[in-house]
Formats: sequence, C-alpha cells, structure tokens
Amino acid sequence: MNKYFKTAWQRLRRTPYQTLISLLVVSLTLFSATVFFLDAAAAHKILRFFETRPQVNAFFKADITPTSQQVELIRSRLESTGLVENFKYISKEDALRIYKELNSTDPLLLEAVTSNMLPASLEVSAKDPAQLKTLADQLKKEEGIEEVRFAEDVVFTLIRWTRSVRTARIALTSSQIFITFIVILSVIGARVTSRKEEITILQLMGATRSFVTAPFILEGMLYGFLGASIAWGITYLAFLYSTPFLSTFIFQIPELYPTPVFMLEVLGGELILGSLVGGLGGLLATRRFLKS
Amino acid sequence: MVTARNVTKKFGNITALGDVSFSVDAGEFVFLTGASGSGKTTIFRLILRDLKPNSGELVVDGHHLSRLSTRDLPHYRRHLGPIFQDFKLLPDRSVWENVSLPLEVRFAKPGDVFAAVKIALQMVGLSDRSSLFPSQLSGGELQRVAIARAIVGKPKLLLADEPTGNLDPKTARSIVSLLKDIHSELKTTVIMATHNADIVNRYGLRVITLENGKLTKDTPKGKYE
Repeated sequence: MNKYFKTAWQRLRRTPYQTLISLLVVSLTLFSATVFFLDAAAAHKILRFFETRPQVNAFFKADITPTSQQVELIRSRLESTGLVENFKYISKEDALRIYKELNSTDPLLLEAVTSNMLPASLEVSAKDPAQLKTLADQLKKEEGIEEVRFAEDVVFTLIRWTRSVRTARIALTSSQIFITFIVILSVIGARVTSRKEEITILQLMGATRSFVTAPFILEGMLYGFLGASIAWGITYLAFLYSTPFLSTFIFQIPELYPTPVFMLEVLGGELILGSLVGGLGGLLATRRFLKS
Repeated sequence: MVTARNVTKKFGNITALGDVSFSVDAGEFVFLTGASGSGKTTIFRLILRDLKPNSGELVVDGHHLSRLSTRDLPHYRRHLGPIFQDFKLLPDRSVWENVSLPLEVRFAKPGDVFAAVKIALQMVGLSDRSSLFPSQLSGGELQRVAIARAIVGKPKLLLADEPTGNLDPKTARSIVSLLKDIHSELKTTVIMATHNADIVNRYGLRVITLENGKLTKDTPKGKYE
C-alpha cells in the first residue's frame, strides 16, 4: 500500500500544473455541492419550523375544570399515535392570563371576565401538519371536549407549499450531486487518460491489473480528499465571514445556526464522498485502458 | 525458446502475418528483417501477447500463448525483455526509476532492486545518468535506458523491435554491439527486428526475412537482402 501511495503522490508532485488545475476543479465542484447541501439543510429546517407551527385547539366545556389525571390521559392517548410534536394544557387561569394580556388596553373587558367563564383548553401541534385532522378527530372523541378548532384551509395550503418547495430542493440537490459525480469522474478520467501510455508500458513489463490500478485509485482518492478539505475550508470561512450579516435574519431561527459538530459532520461526509467518487473515477478510467 | 506454427494475424481484411512458422532456440541471436509493414512488429506483439493470432500456435518458453490466462499473463511477460523503437520510457520518472520498473512490478525487495539496477546501468554505461529524466537524455542514451530496463529482470528472451531505427549509424552500431555483449554475457535469447543492412551484414548471424507478412527466408548465417 505504501508503494502505491508513494507512486500516487509522486505523480501528483511531478505534474504540478495539471495537479493544481484538477484540484481546483474538484474543490470548486465540491464547494458548490457543499453550498447546495447547506442550503438544502437550512431549507429543510425552515420548512420543519413552519410545519410545526399550526396547531389544533381543543376547548373543554366551560363548566368543567379537568383534573391533571384527565389531561395526562388525553396526552398519553394522543402521544401513543406517534403524530404529536407538542402538547400543551391551558388551564382556566392560564386562559384568563392570556385574555388579560390580549386585552390589557381595555379595562372594561377585563372587569367583566373571570376564570370560571373561560374554558380550559389543549394546544396540540403535529410532526406532520397533514396529520392535524387525525389529531383533531381524536380530540373530538375525548370526554369533556366541547369544541375543536384548527385552520384547515391554511394548513392544507401550507402543506402544498412545503411539499412543492421540498420536491424542488430534492431535485436541485440531486442534480448538483450528480453534476459533482460527473465532474470529478471526468477530471480523474482525464488524468488517467493522459497516462494511457504508462498503463500500456506497465502491462508490457508484467504488471498485474491491481499494480496498475491501485495508484490511480489512490490518486483519485487524494484528489477527492484534498478537494473536499479545501471546499469545506472555503465554505467555513465564507460562513464565518457572513455570520454577522446572516444573524440579522436567517439566524433569527436558532435551529438554523450550524453548530461546529454539524460542520464537522459535513466535513466527514465530504471527505468520504470526495474520496469515494475520486477513487471510483480512478478505477473506472483505468479499467478502460487495461488490456486483458 | 520460441516456436511459431502456421501463425496468421489479420487486422480486418489486411493480413499482417500469413501462415508463418519458425523456431528460435534458447541462447540464439536472431535478426528479423524486412521492409516496414512486413510483419516484424506484429511478431513481437504476438510474442508479448499484446495481440492474439487469428490462427496457428505460438509457444514461448513452454507457454502456449493462446491458452494463457489473464491471470498468468503478467507472470509470463516478466520473462521477456522488450525494447521498443520509440523507447517507451515514462517521462516523469528518472532513469533509475524507469530501469527499476520491471522489478517494481514483481514486488522485488528494495535491496535486490538497488543491486540489479546498478548493474544494469553499469552494463549500458549510464551509471552517471541515473538521476536524470528522459527529456534530459540523447536518443542513444534513451535507447540504452530502454535496454537497461529490458535486461534488469534477467529475462529469458530479449525482443528488440528496431532499436536502432531512430539513431545515427555510429550510435546504432554501439547499441547492437551492446546487445551482442549482453547476449554473450547473460546467455539471453535475442530476437532483433531491423532493416539496417549494415548491422545485419556486419555480424553474420541467423536472419529471418519477412515480406508482406510471409516468411520468405530463414538462413543460419544470413545477409540483408
């Protein structure tokens, strides 16, 4: 392995301009793929953020004050469906407090209302907004629930939008990944093609297929590895540079801020992807010129 | 060492070799002569198993080439020492690295590689050029590197395909003289393709003559005709 690695490294070192240009193309392609990936990841989080906003409101009868056991029973029944993102109980006192906050500028309205007049309620959000109707139907069956409300029209419009945006994102990211594959395979392929004569000579000298192929696979992997490192480095620098600007709008949603762990995961993924595609490029290109 | 029985090789409709039969004993030095396109290079490529014949049989050092598997092919080639008219050296490797190539491909120990390359370079008189690259050498020196590469693995058969084709007469004579020395010293079988009459006539060795893919003459102490 050491011998193959030495040969691969020697080839890179002894053709510095070719190496530099090939590395630049691989790095830029992977940089573009990284930006697309981060954009897709952010879009996914934004969609998740909006998808979990709609909720079902279930109101108890005004004359009932549900016990905590009753609320827990409803919660466990709902959560057993696996559809619930968030469950919140609003007691009569909570309802009065919210009412007071909403009408703080109108003392007349405040005087006329007591907690007994307001119903206790439940606020339930779903992991998938399409399941809100199922949760609403189940809540309607619960004892003591008088009314269940959710903005069905708005929710279904949101579902249509998020599905369309998600499909477009998947298509765009897939095409970018495909382009990345093709570009890296072509760059490595061109490198191997320029050494077609060398492959013939090695075979005539009695080299086995693995002896000829291994350094080219390693060379491709080196391109992928170095290209991924450079691409990630540029992305991270660009991210650090633009953080103050992005903080004013995108990072208002805290989940969108890429943590160092997430960025390291991106680096790991890139290194694996780059090395694998580079190695595959080396293997496929060499096989074209190997004579049996 | 080499036995060809009714070997025919066609490229499309063109017959490069037609029904050629000959044999070369171990330790012989044979000139293969004929005009360009007479089939000399095709014979070398068939012996190297770079090509397969359409019909006939070729046996080299006990290997029936038509039955040779892909797996065994590299091991078979390691017993051959090919020398090409266009040298076929790797431009981004030094003289030393080019010469060591046949030993590298058979995973020889570094100590053995060092000793063998040193001896091969001494034999061709290029010890002081070992760190240079092919672009820094003259035509004669390039051919010497190619010869050193061919002999470094102590092959049983040297196949020199017009090794003097690109060289001036004086350098050409020195290259053939070198091949003769190697043949005498290492007892290697040598088949050398050439259309250089001066060289063939100078040594009075066995000459196989090809014309339009047919073997027309095989004389033990022949002349170029």
